[in-house]
Amino acid sequence: MFTDEVLDSVSVQSLWRKSQQAAQESKGCQTRVVHSAEAVVQTVSTTISSTQTEPQDQETEQLLLLLQKRDEPEPPGLRDFLQRVEGLVIRELVKNAKSHAFDGLLVNWEDYSQRVSCLHCLQHPSAQERGLHVTSVSWSCTGSVIACAYGRIDDGDWSTERSCVCTWNLNRRGLHTKQADLVIDVPTAVTALCCHPNQPALIAGGLYSGEVVVWDTSRTQDPILAQTGMSADSHREPVYQVAWVPLQRKGEFGVLSASSGGRVLLWTVDSDQGRFVLNAAYALVRQQVPHSSSARFKACGSNTVGVTSLALSPWDPDTFLVGSEGGLLLRCSFSSQTPAAVPSEGQSVTLRAPAVFSFRPRSGPVHSIHCSPFHRNLFVSAGTDGQVHLHSLLQPNPLVSLRVSDSYVFQVQWSPTRPLVFAAATGQGEVQIFDLGRRSPKAAATIVQGDAGQAATCFDFNCQNPHLLAVGKTDGTVGIWQLSTDLTEQSSRESSQLEQIANQVAE
Amino acid sequence: MLTRRIQGQKGVQGIIIVNSEGIPVKTTLDNSSTVQYAGLIHQLVMKARSTVRDIDPQNDLTFLRVRSKKNEIMIAPDKDYFLIVIQNPSD
Repeated sequence: MFTDEVLDSVSVQSLWRKSQQAAQESKGCQTRVVHSAEAVVQTVSTTISSTQTEPQDQETEQLLLLLQKRDEPEPPGLRDFLQRVEGLVIRELVKNAKSHAFDGLLVNWEDYSQRVSCLHCLQHPSAQERGLHVTSVSWSCTGSVIACAYGRIDDGDWSTERSCVCTWNLNRRGLHTKQADLVIDVPTAVTALCCHPNQPALIAGGLYSGEVVVWDTSRTQDPILAQTGMSADSHREPVYQVAWVPLQRKGEFGVLSASSGGRVLLWTVDSDQGRFVLNAAYALVRQQVPHSSSARFKACGSNTVGVTSLALSPWDPDTFLVGSEGGLLLRCSFSSQTPAAVPSEGQSVTLRAPAVFSFRPRSGPVHSIHCSPFHRNLFVSAGTDGQVHLHSLLQPNPLVSLRVSDSYVFQVQWSPTRPLVFAAATGQGEVQIFDLGRRSPKAAATIVQGDAGQAATCFDFNCQNPHLLAVGKTDGTVGIWQLSTDLTEQSSRESSQLEQIANQVAE
Repeated sequence: MLTRRIQGQKGVQGIIIVNSEGIPVKTTLDNSSTVQYAGLIHQLVMKARSTVRDIDPQNDLTFLRVRSKKNEIMIAPDKDYFLIVIQNPSD
């Protein structure tokens, strides 16, 4: 059955202790010796500063910069002065604009003359005996000397009749109406005359033979300063207009002459040699005339466009106006470079075609053109149809046409003082003065001198004494007239009225 | 502009500010007109002022208006400057 047994004990040796002590090594290392050194530094002076940004206003900065650049430093006290004075001045301005205190107030500094009266009637007996007509009158630049040219206006043929140019000084005490102060004998009829705008002694004249002459009235011996002579350069036909033209160099003037041979020539005066030097030459030929839409051309007759009148524009030194025998009215340019279609006849300067624009042609020769001294676009023209046409440089058709007389109109000229007034010399012997502001087809004043049968061929306003007007007639007399004050004094609205007329569009 | 309020009034054609020696300091007109106005009006203001003071030494010129056919010139004088305004009241 059950018995007790005793067993032997079993022991297990620890392997761990033995493994720990099993393999062991030891190692050691050491760095090399470290080198070290010592040095000392000290500052001699010290400063302290600091900066800080500020918030910026962009707009005011730019404005300040702009203003400083444009103005010089403002004069001291100006702003204060203006602030003090502004209120007072504005009050006065406003009161003045509303005030009726001066309405209708007329102040007369000079004697108000209501009538047109004849002051003198100048005659040259030897010219009158030969039945010469006065062909041109011109006031000198001082306004005291009137120069008159004698010749014939009804001549068709070449004539060798001698004529003369007479001058009278109206301010001299011993004025003899029947005896001229100076008489210059001329071998042929004088057809055009123009006094120099600055030098009172010089007078330019155009002759029937085609010559252009400048007389110096200060010379006692021989008054001829220069003449063209009969060279290849000069005109072959009567010179119907001469004018003094300002040249490139300030203060110098050249002479522009226009003849019925279709030539317009610009001369410079060479006073040492006593001759003219041709500066520029323009020839007008029918083919080179610009056609306006309303012009009808007959391609017959002579090729040349005979020039009977010439006008310079006081506003534009490049423009001049030309009127022809056939009724053409052209605007021309000094600077045109188109060569003219005429055979060269040995001139020293090449001929150019100057026509730029053509206005509506008239039915007969255009005797006179004049540019308005008050408006750059307006000019008047007159011819054989008895009417005066007011044109604008910008349109081919006339703005206003006024019937002046039943016969020819020989000359038309604007008044130098009143923008709306112009005068016309008619074949019936009258000079009619028209006022565009009056809106009436009748003349504001009529000057009748001598007999009615004699035509008034020429007249000239005196720019220095605006109430004087000289009228020359075919009976050889020159009348000096004094105009009434209302024809010579400008009223305040005239310039704007003229502007309105100029801005009309012709129908 | 300093003179804008005056320029905006009805009919004002031009404004010139002249200093005590007659030299224009500011202007709205062209150069040649300005010089002409400045010289002539300076003389006129001096004459007007001396006239007023000769009549009564305690009095002095405050304002000068010159009316002509075409326009009116108003002058506000002061110790250092004159203000010249040209107005056309009928415009």
